[in-house]
Amino acid sequence: MKTMSNDSENIFSNYGIYDLSDNLELFLPNTSIRFQKISDNAFSYFRENSEGKIIEKIIPVKSDDIKIELAPIRPLNHPARRTNYVFLKFDKEIYLSENSAASIFVHCPIEIGIFLIHNSNHESLDCITCNPLTSRFGLYGTPDTGTLCKYAKVLLASDYDDSISYVNGVMQIVIENTLSFGQTISKVIFPITDNSLYYDKSKTILDGIKITMKKRAVVNIADVKTTSVETDWVLSPTWEDGTTNTTLEMGLE
Amino acid sequence: MPLEFLQSLSEMYIVGELTVLSLLIGGVIMAGGIILAKIAKLLFHKYYAPSLPKDTAQNISKLIYFGILIISFLGFTSSQGIDLSGIMVAGGIFAVVIGFATQSVVSNLISGLFLMVEKPAKHGDTIELPDMGISGTLLDVGTFSSKIRRFDGTITRIPNDKFFTSNIRSLTLSTVRRADVMVGISYESDIEHAISVMRHDIFENMPFVLQIPEPEFRIEELGDSSVNIHVYVWHPRDDWSQVQPVLLTIIKKSLDKSGIEIPYPQRVIWTGKD
Repeated sequence: MKTMSNDSENIFSNYGIYDLSDNLELFLPNTSIRFQKISDNAFSYFRENSEGKIIEKIIPVKSDDIKIELAPIRPLNHPARRTNYVFLKFDKEIYLSENSAASIFVHCPIEIGIFLIHNSNHESLDCITCNPLTSRFGLYGTPDTGTLCKYAKVLLASDYDDSISYVNGVMQIVIENTLSFGQTISKVIFPITDNSLYYDKSKTILDGIKITMKKRAVVNIADVKTTSVETDWVLSPTWEDGTTNTTLEMGLE
Repeated sequence: MPLEFLQSLSEMYIVGELTVLSLLIGGVIMAGGIILAKIAKLLFHKYYAPSLPKDTAQNISKLIYFGILIISFLGFTSSQGIDLSGIMVAGGIFAVVIGFATQSVVSNLISGLFLMVEKPAKHGDTIELPDMGISGTLLDVGTFSSKIRRFDGTITRIPNDKFFTSNIRSLTLSTVRRADVMVGISYESDIEHAISVMRHDIFENMPFVLQIPEPEFRIEELGDSSVNIHVYVWHPRDDWSQVQPVLLTIIKKSLDKSGIEIPYPQRVIWTGKD
């Protein structure tokens, strides 16, 4: 259990669980959050971002046993929820020769969720993006049949500790080329709703993905599957309603 | 006493074998059928329709409602001792006569059925009928007519045969849509710089504009007063209102901020002495 704790490296509030017995203030980059007790059975919630946008809510509660969890969530909700897919465009292309494999780390944008914990149930209260410029859309495919995705240009990371706090998390991508010729990878598109997020203080990591480039009949495809990461970091609660997604097969260009 | 009353009703003949009692029983059957149909429709809408696509839910709802009404009507006719086989034969001839007399009604009915089968647009789709100059949200494809809620909130009823035979432009079938505006900059302005600042400000201020495909800037023409640039941006299909109405505002602010002139219409006049 945490109270208002701060990372020693910055002035911002760490991810984690906070008591809501009385007033509480949380600080994130470009965003301030305030909970205020307005009566025995109600709290007010106030959030303001750097653009001056204000969100206010009243939270009626039945008991005093209320907690707040600040946790990273999947980057699907800003500026509006439109898709389950993420389109990561690598800053540098990756070349894989025939029958070879590689493992890389990339930065993946995240959002931050505020959850109300009541009787061990997590209820989604609000979500925030600390860098709105990473919340953009992109299309994979043609306008009539393509897949709408959240789009981000991402940098390669060195390891799991390389994430930028509150803005992105690190994800491992394993690429396997089973084709009889070399291939260049410059992007990956996948449903991120299958990937869990984990946090430690202000850092985030995500479940990875495995891309297998293979031949099916006469077509070359990239089969994308989620892989779980083994870590002792704290698992983030799920923001979205549980949805089931099938794996995605990207075409090779 | 009630039995005696019913007995007296059964002995009161209206036409032929038709008595007041049998007519009363028929009325009860029909009234019961209508009430049952309404309740069944209500329960379906409350418990099952929310989990179905809206147009499917409406079609099933109509099937339930009219199915119960038809069964009630059959119950009514049999309670009156009416032989339907005779009506069927007469009905065939009658239908031909009625068919000629009510061609448009039949045409609307058949078109309605084809619309339900072909589904060129679903309930809730935003569509445009360019031939009729109508655009809005499709509310219902009914038996004889369809209803469209226009963007000003009014509802237009369109006969199904006109709807079926007209061009239908769907604004919601594609994953994304494109918005475009035209802007003119002065001949003295640097075109590359103008495009660069517009691209930058669109990215920063318009989160619904897609990054792939990228915003496109085409020099449309060297106009009388300005170099005209056509700006094309893509956005998720449901977010037109977040993009098209504000695109020009963002571009105008962007050009103003960078000191790039958007010229007024102007004409250079040379006098004879010059």
